[in-house]
Amino acid sequence: MKLNTDMMVHRISDQIWEIPTTEKDGMRVPARLYATESILSDMDRGVFEQITNVACLPGIRRYALCMPDGHWGYGFPIGGVAAFDPRDGIISPGGVGYDVNCGMRLMRTDLTLSDVRPRLESLMTELFRKVPAGVGARGSVRLNRRDFDDVMKKGARWCVERGYGWTEDLERIEERGCIAGADPSKVSDRAVERGHNQLGTLGSGNHYLEVQVVLNDRIFDLVTAAALGIHGHDQIVVMVHCGSRGFGHQVASDYLQSFEKAMRRHGITVKDPQLACAPFRSPEGQDYFSAMNCAANNAFANRQVITHHIRESFATVFESSAEELGMHLIYDVAHNIAKVERYREGDLVVHRKGSTRAFGPGRVELPELYQQTGQPVICGGSMETGSYLLVGTERAMDETFGSTMHGSGRTMSRAQAKKTIRGEQVRKQMEQRGIVVKTASLSGLAEEAGLAYKNISDVVETCDLAGITKKVAELRPIGNIKG
Amino acid sequence: MPPSFRVLDDIAIADIAFEAIGNSPSELCLAAAQALIETLADPRTVTNTWHQTIELENETLAEILFAWLSELVYWKDADGVVFSRASASVHSEASGLWRLHGELVGEAIDSTRQHLRADVKAVTKHLYDVRQDDRQWKATVVLDI
Repeated sequence: MKLNTDMMVHRISDQIWEIPTTEKDGMRVPARLYATESILSDMDRGVFEQITNVACLPGIRRYALCMPDGHWGYGFPIGGVAAFDPRDGIISPGGVGYDVNCGMRLMRTDLTLSDVRPRLESLMTELFRKVPAGVGARGSVRLNRRDFDDVMKKGARWCVERGYGWTEDLERIEERGCIAGADPSKVSDRAVERGHNQLGTLGSGNHYLEVQVVLNDRIFDLVTAAALGIHGHDQIVVMVHCGSRGFGHQVASDYLQSFEKAMRRHGITVKDPQLACAPFRSPEGQDYFSAMNCAANNAFANRQVITHHIRESFATVFESSAEELGMHLIYDVAHNIAKVERYREGDLVVHRKGSTRAFGPGRVELPELYQQTGQPVICGGSMETGSYLLVGTERAMDETFGSTMHGSGRTMSRAQAKKTIRGEQVRKQMEQRGIVVKTASLSGLAEEAGLAYKNISDVVETCDLAGITKKVAELRPIGNIKG
Repeated sequence: MPPSFRVLDDIAIADIAFEAIGNSPSELCLAAAQALIETLADPRTVTNTWHQTIELENETLAEILFAWLSELVYWKDADGVVFSRASASVHSEASGLWRLHGELVGEAIDSTRQHLRADVKAVTKHLYDVRQDDRQWKATVVLDI
């Protein structure tokens, strides 16, 4: 098998590959990649370099992990997972990413394709009007500094208290939409100034809002699907992918910059400046953790306000209340975050960068609703191909610090995608397949074309076969709003 | 050769990378700013109703260029603008400090008139490099999208 690396890579199983510590000076643990042979051979050189760089970081435990959607990132590869002992380990903004708590949210409805198809154009127009998207988009929620501080501390709870959502939404969000330990005094004024007008906005890049259909023959586990509110029969669901916008981006930038000096003070060296880090228990490490939690709560609030506007839009177009339309949240889950979680070693600082938490049944962090099923996992594909709803497993708890993939993973650069296909062409292709597209940028549409991504089904299948998530249903797009 | 930039296709799969080139540090900062401006929106569709003066000082040219580009990203969100043009004058002092005086010109974002492209989350240090090469100044920059 030809790989894009000269390192030795051992097969552990059909879906697990290991790079031993002998392959790079300074590796403290082996690196493990979850991939089929085909996915592994397509992984870019950066994945191998970066995941072995992560394996060199102080305090890392067990393995540096990369999921099958792994590709070249900054510091950590996208799809990277690493856990550090809080006593001697680090925290790194490079293990979280610039878009703190970028994540996925999925909402069910009682509507079917036959209900929605005749009004799809109106629905997408209304959603595009209500949910601002694209460069520098501004939201409808006006916040003064005190309000913004409250958003940082309370996250989605702030939104529900202000009428942007239902009380039941909160238990269907990771950490109930509010991570403890957020301290606004650790956030710069510049971060606040970048973010205070952006609550309830999608942003751009690969962020989207999608109206999707659950086809009857694409439910893989009827019992679990029913427990999650999915019955098939061409049922309509709505997916949102976005994060903490300019606010979170600035928090990450600020701390990456300050950690360069912190590393010198703490005598830490790293293989890549984007792996800048600080000991978790140092003042610098705790400051970043507090600021990152502010950004994470901001992202939960952002997706909550968007949810409110989605419900309003559906209510307007279908002339029924969101309650009557059965628009219950299924789940909201982060895929760019660092959190303290308990495993067999004790508390660990788990970094997930382009990786989704996938807790199995019975974990105390899960609401009663999902104690039997395991945590819902939402995996977004390219806007042309489709997405998946899955659940976490006990095996994920044992092997991957309760983590799995987050999406399809790119195989083609943005520049190359734009050379290969034009935005207008992508739109036409999608419309021919019955997908209505609204976009703030046609060039952005070309960058996100399906041909620029791995096959989502291959990625999902790998995690299913590896046993770290279990497929529940495939979700096919019929309407897409692209920032 | 005037200040220029070229997009680097394959060094940042999920994002946008460019190489900026100038005959002087000032031209380098101008070329890099132009690359970022054109990443955000087509500057030909942006009018000149918003102005901002930028004053920066730093210990190295690499750091001051990084800070200068980060200013564009900051103002894009803080004031909700995209840019039509920029100017930059950079010099080093006897103390070793570098100083930049820059001007940003643009207007409030209006998707009905402007040709908007990609939102830039951050300027990164991934493969970030500033160098002098054959009497030209060059920088490799990766923008997080």
